[in-house]
Amino acid sequence: MTQILFKNINLEGLATLPVYEGQGGYRSLEIAFKKQPEEVVEMVKASGLRGRGGAGFPAGLKWSFLAKDVFPRYLCCNADESEPGTCKDRELLLKNPHLLIEGMILCSYACRIQTGYIYFRGEFYDLAQIMEKALDEARRKGYLGKNIMGSGFDLDIHTHLGAGAYICGEESALLNSLEGRRGEPRMKPPFPAVEGLYAKPTVINNVETLCCVPWIISEGPEKYAAIGTEKSKGTKLVSVSGHVKKPGNYEVVLGTPTREIIYDLAGGIRDDNKLKAFIPGGSSVPMLPAELVDTPYDYEALQAAGSMLGSGALIVIDHTMNVVEATHRLMSFYMHESCGKCTPCREGTRWLWQILSRIMKGQSEGDPISKLNDICDNMSFKCFCPLGDAAIAPVVSGIKHFRADYEEFLQNAATGAAG
Amino acid sequence: MANEPVTLTIDDKTVTVPKGTKVVDAAKTVGIEIPVFCYHEKLGPFGCCRMCLVEVEKMPKMATACTLDVGPGMVVRTNTEKVEKAQKGVLEFTLLNHPLDCPVCDKGGECPLQDNTFKFGAPETRMEFDRAHNLKAAPLSPVITLDRERCIACQRCTRYSDIIEDERALVMHNRGFKNEIGTFNNEPYATRFSGNVIDICPVGALTNTQFRFKARTWDLANSDTLCSHCGVNCNMTMGTRTNKLLRIQSRPNDRVDDGWICDKARWGYDFLESKNRMGMNKSRLSGDWKALTPKEAAVHVAEAFKKIADEHGPESVGFIGSAYGTNEELYLYQKLFRQGLGSNNIDHKTHPGSPGLPIAHHDLQDIETSDLVLLLASDPAEELPILELRLKKVAKRGGVKLAVLGDQSTSMDRYAEWSGRYNVGAAAAVCEALAAELAGSGAGADLAGRAGLDGEQIKTLADLIRGSQKVTLIYNPVPLSAAAHGQLSRLMTAMGQIGEISCGAIPAAPGTNAVGALDMGVLPDYYPGGMPLAGGAEAIQAAWGENTPTAPGLSAMQMIEQAEQGRLKALLIHRANPLADFPGGKRLAAALKKLDVLVVHDIMQTETSRLANVVLISNGPGYDEGTTTNIGGRVQLRKGGLKTANAPDWKLVSMMIRALDENAPEYAASFGVTAEIAEKVPGYSDISKKSIKKEGQTRTQPPVAQGAVESPSEQATAGGLRLRIAHRLFAQDAILDPSSQLSHQFQASTATLNEADASRLGIANGDPVVITAGGGEVRAQAEVSNRVNPGGVVVPRVSDEQDLMTLAAEDAAAVDVKKA
Amino acid sequence: MFAFNETSEKEIEKILGKYPDRQSALLPLLTVTQRQERHITPEAMVEIGRRLDLSPAYVQSVASFYTMYHTEKVGRYLILFCINISCQLNGCDDLLAYTAKKLGIEIGQTTPDEKFTLLREECLAACTGAPMMRINDTFYEFLTPAKIDEIIDSLE
Ligand SMILES: Cc1cc2nc3c(=O)[nH]c(=O)nc-3n(C[C@H](O)[C@H](O)[C@H](O)COP(=O)(O)O)c2cc1C
Ligand code: SF4
Ligand code: FES
Repeated sequence: MTQILFKNINLEGLATLPVYEGQGGYRSLEIAFKKQPEEVVEMVKASGLRGRGGAGFPAGLKWSFLAKDVFPRYLCCNADESEPGTCKDRELLLKNPHLLIEGMILCSYACRIQTGYIYFRGEFYDLAQIMEKALDEARRKGYLGKNIMGSGFDLDIHTHLGAGAYICGEESALLNSLEGRRGEPRMKPPFPAVEGLYAKPTVINNVETLCCVPWIISEGPEKYAAIGTEKSKGTKLVSVSGHVKKPGNYEVVLGTPTREIIYDLAGGIRDDNKLKAFIPGGSSVPMLPAELVDTPYDYEALQAAGSMLGSGALIVIDHTMNVVEATHRLMSFYMHESCGKCTPCREGTRWLWQILSRIMKGQSEGDPISKLNDICDNMSFKCFCPLGDAAIAPVVSGIKHFRADYEEFLQNAATGAAG
Repeated sequence: MANEPVTLTIDDKTVTVPKGTKVVDAAKTVGIEIPVFCYHEKLGPFGCCRMCLVEVEKMPKMATACTLDVGPGMVVRTNTEKVEKAQKGVLEFTLLNHPLDCPVCDKGGECPLQDNTFKFGAPETRMEFDRAHNLKAAPLSPVITLDRERCIACQRCTRYSDIIEDERALVMHNRGFKNEIGTFNNEPYATRFSGNVIDICPVGALTNTQFRFKARTWDLANSDTLCSHCGVNCNMTMGTRTNKLLRIQSRPNDRVDDGWICDKARWGYDFLESKNRMGMNKSRLSGDWKALTPKEAAVHVAEAFKKIADEHGPESVGFIGSAYGTNEELYLYQKLFRQGLGSNNIDHKTHPGSPGLPIAHHDLQDIETSDLVLLLASDPAEELPILELRLKKVAKRGGVKLAVLGDQSTSMDRYAEWSGRYNVGAAAAVCEALAAELAGSGAGADLAGRAGLDGEQIKTLADLIRGSQKVTLIYNPVPLSAAAHGQLSRLMTAMGQIGEISCGAIPAAPGTNAVGALDMGVLPDYYPGGMPLAGGAEAIQAAWGENTPTAPGLSAMQMIEQAEQGRLKALLIHRANPLADFPGGKRLAAALKKLDVLVVHDIMQTETSRLANVVLISNGPGYDEGTTTNIGGRVQLRKGGLKTANAPDWKLVSMMIRALDENAPEYAASFGVTAEIAEKVPGYSDISKKSIKKEGQTRTQPPVAQGAVESPSEQATAGGLRLRIAHRLFAQDAILDPSSQLSHQFQASTATLNEADASRLGIANGDPVVITAGGGEVRAQAEVSNRVNPGGVVVPRVSDEQDLMTLAAEDAAAVDVKKA
Repeated sequence: MFAFNETSEKEIEKILGKYPDRQSALLPLLTVTQRQERHITPEAMVEIGRRLDLSPAYVQSVASFYTMYHTEKVGRYLILFCINISCQLNGCDDLLAYTAKKLGIEIGQTTPDEKFTLLREECLAACTGAPMMRINDTFYEFLTPAKIDEIIDSLE
């Protein structure tokens, strides 16, 4: 198994600078500083690295979009990790903070950025403390600060804590939150690469994305690009949770069949139950039925199967679970997390939740399934930000693949009412 | 470039609009309506309500037309099936938890939600559960009612409070479905501009408390009029029913008010029904009080004045008008006194200002194209509130630099690129210093230092001016001494002489028609249009006839002095209340009592009208029509809306004129007088009923006489502190009395003094103090701060009852401040 | 009356050094306040507004957006019990009910001795350790009734 991010993840003391350096840490900086910043951007482009936060946008391309000649510029690392099912960034931050710092230094050098922020979700207070320590070590050793390693390049990195809002993982809401505002998403355009933090050009990348960069620089982009599939390069951390025997974060080569992840790495379904459904990329992507478990775990194949790779959170559901209950729980989450700025999402999530609640209580009238579908259609791509689309994903996919689960509730209600 | 044209098609219609235009506005230009809730031109794009979704070719998703910039060759569709489904869907979401209480909602008939639902909505709702219930009809402030159930969270009101008012007083609390608008800790939302949220709320969530359940909107008669409270002359609509004013709304005119009105405009109309309004025209000149018809009153007054002028000479009669009269009223009164009675004893003010400065007059929109605005002795927030909004806008978002030069710190300081505070009473020295600095004489820093300003600072200011291409000077003439006016002239000349700079001034006096009063020649030494008597007698006689008086007349303060001496025998006062407003205190009443004839022509009974032998009813705003000239020189029509049997002021005065000269014209309407003004008054030739109809029309700059600049140095006062009287928007007076809806805005009497003086006088912050001078005595609460320099004390005029003017002298007065 | 204590003041000084724009310090200052006081009072919001040049209404508006800020005092131990999908799949509902019963309070309440507050929480990014809860800054994973007993009983 190719291990890039997790090769030494459980090494004792990895979070401290000496151990990290002993593993070859910060060596990539010497390579990068000998090149022009633009060359570093080209290397990341050539590696084919795509964003690991959810959207899968090519990282190098994003870096090359920064508004020309506008300074200062900022780097914001997205350590909000709030997508239900996802907990891989937490493991990286907890066990290997210097890897992120190294990645952020490389990105900043490549993009001529002198200030970086790591936006932690508020509940990651402990991780922020660990990171503060690591940042101090890096500063003392001259990896951060003025004229890093004699390169003439200056950079400092700060931590910033959110305070409980899923939406702040969305990049523009994150910027608002970092600027001391309500975490409502911003209008786009302008995109952050043009007007981001403090209206200056800004790069926003996920923790895992940035953590891939040191390896790409040290080992060369070609080597990275050789891993994975045609369009999904490299490895991906997958958080496997739910009804599996060995839940955990696993680093897999993109393109690995999903079945292998569930059955080999995560030990298969608990109590040797039957697999019913899986959500491949976090709660915001459509769920898939067991028949599709052989789908290769990569961006294209999952999309072709009707879902998405998302944040890499594989949530496994066995045959004992009724999908409506899971969907209802997720809808309650989206209702709670909708920022309330736009009408369809604010009103729609609550309405869907109300209908799902009534279905479960056996109180619905008429044809609630068509109504759910139509409400989802009225939200689809009509909300201000992608949260609205995320919210409808479990409903639409659930109805599509597990209509029987809905009907079970409706039937029970009908017979209950008759009796 | 911003104005580069872009061509696109919307529903197959070709549209060409400037780059940067939003699709929603582009559609409007070709008559295509894209429905909106959250979008408002002045607030900019926000995109939260999703009502304006459209399809755009080559875009995978639907786009919100309110956030989308037009692009060349863009193909937009607003009427496809997809769009219609989206609109119905969004409306369904919007109405999901909106109560269906339209029949009892004040917004009914002018509600965008109602209208959009009618035009774009589905015929029925599929919501089968209880709607969310929430607080209904709760006070957001004493004048605004909030119905939370009706709020659709468009954030217009909160964005208004953030972007336009820059107060962030009304905000969004909580998130998601629980979000709701509110204030800090549920305190009242009571800013100076709070009422605008009523106008921009697209549903009935924010309504006018006074107007609630008073009338259906479609039953109102609306008249397009102007506000009469300050010199900006904001445009507004007055809604009446059965001859009763029921509400005021803003009527956007970018050239004047940028779309907003202040709360005094919206709610300061209770004087219309005040029990203190004049009851009838009456006289007791010949014994007991007797009632007079308008005609009788006019003849009676004209003859009484004529008799005295004949017996004692024209210098024995005088007229004190006010900055609150219309141009027509002011014009006719000066005509009565000059042509009818042969006297130049005409004035309307207590400050020694001049009718103009030897420099161009800027209009309000020049502020936006200036690169530097210099505020002098001006506190727009209190004096001319809507001007403050415009200044905030340009300073925050318009790239205009602001320099603030004042004797008290104001809310404008935080927007200033440069700000400096001089000693109370030292405006003349400061203007002289800046003029010297600009002229490069080298004396600037030293002069400034003596006025309490850092010498280096004045250099920075001079550099700021020199580095600009267009400068607008905004000054309030009222607190300036004669010396300061002189030096201000000199300063403007110095600025005008710097090569590349174009500069102009805005005389920002708070009075509604202060500029009109100057233009109409309600001055002892100037004829209408700023024609000076000094050295101008020939021109004046050429224009006004050989018999017109050319000897300089008495100023208002001089008239009162002459009355005290028994030399002025008859005085006519129009809409002024010297007993409350003029410096001098108790002396004034004694002087007025000595007159043989005192005629007061006013709306309200006042301290002064109670001394009069003849009282005439002035109808004033709400009733009478007339034009006013705002501080930017823009002439606009203030329409009436209410009817009355009383003669309008212009008619009464014209009857007086005809009583003395039967050949004088008889005007059919106030526009007859306006036409005469256009003909006779330099600068007003373009003014006509037609030209001012929509947005008003700026009068041209009257030729300004480069009068000799006298600069009597300001008297240094021995001992005591120099008093600066500050203007307050919501002061309690005849217009805003305690029964007003705005009485919650009244403030307590305060006195701001510097820490140095306070510790010398043993006064601590919050202490009650007494301020005395010239027999007058005023009580206040001390505010110890560095908002004023040592040696000065700032006392805002918060109420007539405060009796503040008893302390004042014509030039800044010295007062004693003691702990009470 | 609200005042920051010495530790908070030191923290604030460090925070203000991080950002080119003072408003960015708003969330951090709210966090400092909450760690000092366990909740955020209106007086504290006024003070924060004063330091950052923000209206108190604005501070309240921002604070009320984020669920981690409490306007009412919470217990010394704040138990956030994840009820989101991965924990749901692993039986968190029963465990949460168990915990509430053990503490003798309803979900959302604080024990009378102000020791514990028990709240439902959305996903806390420990899904591979479901079911889980967070008590103050510590995550507890793979919960069972026995483990819950042990954890809660060990807290002083
Ligand atoms: C509702 C919502 C929540 C999101 N949450 C996260 C998150 O917790 N962590 C993250 O890295 N990206 C999250 N994203 C994606 C970010 O907006 C952004 O695309 C990402 O941080 C970019 O980094 P990447 O290109 O390295 O993936 C979220 C997006 C949405 C719409
Ligand atoms: S009160 Fe009116 S203006 Fe304010 S958010 Fe609600 S609907 Fe919009
Ligand atoms: S008007 Fe366009 S989203 Fe509200």
